[in-house]
Amino acid sequence: MTRLRILLFRLWSLVRARQMDREIDDEITSHLAEATDAYIQQGLSPEEARLAALRGFGGITQAKEVYRHVRSFMWLDDLARDLRHTVRALRRSPGFALVTIVTLALGLGATTVIFSVVNGIFLRPLPYPGADRLMQVQPMLARGSGLFSYPDFADVQEQNRTFAGLAAYTSRKTSAATVDQAFRATSTQVSPGFLSVMGVAPAFGRGFSADEEQTGESVAVVSYGYWQDRLAARSDFTSQGVRVNDRIYTVIGVMPRGYDFPAGTDLWTPLAPRTQSRTRTAHGFQVVGRLRSDSSAAVAQQDLKSIATRLKQQYGDDEDMVDASVRPMIEQLAGNVRAALTVLLGASVALLLVACVNVANLMLARALSLDRESALRLALGAGPWSVARRFMTETLVLTMAGAGLGLAIAFGGIAALLAQSTTQLPRTDEIGLDVRVLLFLLAVSMIAASVVGVFPAFRAARRDPRDALADSQRIQGPSATTRRFSGGFVMAQISLTVVLLVGAGLVGRSVLKLLDEDPGYRTDDALVMDIWLPAEELSGASTELSAGDAHVATYLDRLMGGLRRIPGVERVGGINHFPLQWPPGANGSYILINRPDEVANWDDWERVGSDRSRTGKAQFRVASSEYFAAMRIPLIRGRMFDARDTPDAPHVALVSASLAEERWPGQDPLGRLVQFGGMDGDYRAFTIVGIVGDIQELGLGRTPQPTFYADERQRPRRANEFHVVFQGGGDGATLTAAARGVARDLDPTIPVAFRTLRTVVSAWIGDRQFVLVLLTLFGVVALVLAATGVYGVVSYMAARRMPEIGVRVALGARGRDVVRLLVREGAVCTVGGVTIGLIVASLSTRAVASWLFGVGGTDPTTFAVVAVAMSAVALAASWVPAYRTSCTDAMEALRQD
Amino acid sequence: MTPDKHDVLYGTLGLMVIKTLEALGPLHGYLIARRIEQISGNQLSLNQGTLYPALLKLQQSGWISSKWGTSESGRRVRIYTLTSAGRKQLQKEEAQWQRATSIVERFLKISENPS
Repeated sequence: MTRLRILLFRLWSLVRARQMDREIDDEITSHLAEATDAYIQQGLSPEEARLAALRGFGGITQAKEVYRHVRSFMWLDDLARDLRHTVRALRRSPGFALVTIVTLALGLGATTVIFSVVNGIFLRPLPYPGADRLMQVQPMLARGSGLFSYPDFADVQEQNRTFAGLAAYTSRKTSAATVDQAFRATSTQVSPGFLSVMGVAPAFGRGFSADEEQTGESVAVVSYGYWQDRLAARSDFTSQGVRVNDRIYTVIGVMPRGYDFPAGTDLWTPLAPRTQSRTRTAHGFQVVGRLRSDSSAAVAQQDLKSIATRLKQQYGDDEDMVDASVRPMIEQLAGNVRAALTVLLGASVALLLVACVNVANLMLARALSLDRESALRLALGAGPWSVARRFMTETLVLTMAGAGLGLAIAFGGIAALLAQSTTQLPRTDEIGLDVRVLLFLLAVSMIAASVVGVFPAFRAARRDPRDALADSQRIQGPSATTRRFSGGFVMAQISLTVVLLVGAGLVGRSVLKLLDEDPGYRTDDALVMDIWLPAEELSGASTELSAGDAHVATYLDRLMGGLRRIPGVERVGGINHFPLQWPPGANGSYILINRPDEVANWDDWERVGSDRSRTGKAQFRVASSEYFAAMRIPLIRGRMFDARDTPDAPHVALVSASLAEERWPGQDPLGRLVQFGGMDGDYRAFTIVGIVGDIQELGLGRTPQPTFYADERQRPRRANEFHVVFQGGGDGATLTAAARGVARDLDPTIPVAFRTLRTVVSAWIGDRQFVLVLLTLFGVVALVLAATGVYGVVSYMAARRMPEIGVRVALGARGRDVVRLLVREGAVCTVGGVTIGLIVASLSTRAVASWLFGVGGTDPTTFAVVAVAMSAVALAASWVPAYRTSCTDAMEALRQD
Repeated sequence: MTPDKHDVLYGTLGLMVIKTLEALGPLHGYLIARRIEQISGNQLSLNQGTLYPALLKLQQSGWISSKWGTSESGRRVRIYTLTSAGRKQLQKEEAQWQRATSIVERFLKISENPS
């Protein structure tokens, strides 16, 4: 009880220490005055009385000192004193302090930046209730994971016993319009129950009713952002229709602010289950599910696997789903950056280690130079703890300053990272400095402090003062132990740097090789104009163009005609799915037919399609006649689309070289009849009229896929999203403005956007580039740190061995010999470090394997270049201090001590 | 100074202070010091400065309290008062002290009469 009182009292005293100091001063003054008065009354002169009072009181300073002890915690006072002492000591060597702080800040800053990204993407929970039970479900097809077909989804939804709810959805970019404006919007069609699976209800208005969900009523729930931007945040939003793809939707609800799933959606509309395709191989839906509380991802996985197996048995070749994967939604969101962040986190920790090693070496050198002082303090009775504490306080002060500066670096770094437009990080609004990041920084700083501070502290405290005072290091040079430690530190540093540089080198060479690839199309500054037209829902089969389809064809025809009339523009052509576009374009089954009218409807399709020898799979694209010329995709045989190919003429198609090779090896595909009705619902036959070059459509360096091209004028149904390529004389800005003018004159409600082929490529490479830029940055910083590490050790050795060198020079050693002697110190560390680094690198390149292209994990060129560069830098860093030493006068060196 | 003065026995200053306050009521620092010296018949060499840490310790333990007031000569001084907790503590310590001295006394008697 009393103890607790004392503790509280002392804590309180901490707060009012200053006031208490003042009060005790007053009290002592009064005391002395009272005592003086008393002595005067006893008959002493004022002067004598005052002296007597002071004598009676005893030492004033001692009294105050004891008073302070009683007042509060002694160790706090000690700490304050140590801190003051440290700051004074560091002020005397500002160079040391600055280098240490900046070095630590670089390491801590880099690590914090990467960690804050990891934190934002992986560690912060998703903003949905019970988000840990939200799963992304994907079917596994024979060739990998893919999208669900609606019948498969419906079966899984009905038969599973592990999900409380499953919902399918499909998003697309479309043009949309309210009464007074047209814009591009992302609209997501959702199956019944989607909102309840997500566990989020509209903030205003209502969600879909069961009837609306079943019949696919024209109602829409909109995002908070959409409501604000397009509906001016009006409360009577239900009266605000929105036109999407020629259907007018009534807005019935507004989702809460921050709700963003699937990412970027502006409008959610119900999809009518009954009107969906019955084909099990027509994949088009993503699926999200909420696990039942008594289930887990692994159990659900088993459950779905057995369903998939059952379906496969039941439907045989009509079913291509063989399994299903169940992954937490957060993983799915972060999937493609996980590997990158793991590598970068590793790299930043390596950088931090390099920085720590540098600082540890500096601290060690400093401890050595303070040996005599420490020894003296020990000899005069200071406890080992108090001597060690001094070094630890120093480390702490430096680390905390480093952490502070590191925080500033992290702050700037995060902003710079997010500003980089080439990176497509998910959940970017969650990335930033929060409590968890700050705690991380604090923890890492503490670890760093103990790494760099413990050794010098331990060493200083442990030494026998007699030894320290007796052996004058100026004569003997540093002890073997110390040299081993310093050397080992530098070696570790060099090897870590080598690992970082090898990583950067491998990814860098991969990027160069990728850019060197010939993708089969141009990658220069030609313009790409992206157009989104309203499209009709695909409904049933047909053999003729609907009014909407005709509208698309007419619009594209006029647009491309308008573009051709811009002065200087030649070759204007477009396609409905552009290379390197994500997600991948449509693909499906085709059937070889003998007569043009052999397949005229769904039943024919099913009957003929059951003959597997006559079917195949290919990418299905819709292109205009000049697309291939505009993209510089060569015509290998036959002819391109031309003026003959009107909508009413027999429909024609081009096939890619790989499709020709795969389907008609050693035969001539020209003139063959093909049916691709499953893709666009049009059952008119194609006649193959030409073979065009293969292109790397999925990605640079990826194997070209067998591709089938239809003519946009004949089959415009899937051309509502279109990408027109053209090149003109003048500069890009003028050309873009002219093209925008053409589009506006034609139809101001159609949204368009512009890119160049070069940016298409660099956006695709962005992911690798992101890793490359950061790895290179870390590698270069580590290289600089390692170089200063080597420099520091060699100059320190040189200074310590000065007397020895003096003797050598006096005995006839030349400057060259001195340089060689000292450079050898650095060379040993360098060779060791580079060797270890190369070994570690060859063992750990698996980490960057997914970004490698055209180079092996142990690419000899990269390894050799890194080894040579690292050695050259390290040797240069040791040569400089060695040379400087060799220039000093021998006599001066000897007189130094 | 008088050569046969004694140092204050370790740990007894606090007891002397609260006993003084019990006997004489609220006092300021200088008067407490004077009274202790007087009661000891000027046999005690008290460094008056050491009184203040002791006073602080007693306050922290809650046995005395203090507030600013005015001395007879009109100076601003801090006046110390015994609290009820302090009174209890005093009784406890007096009892302990007496037991301790009686034990020591008995020992001293033994050594005075070696038989």
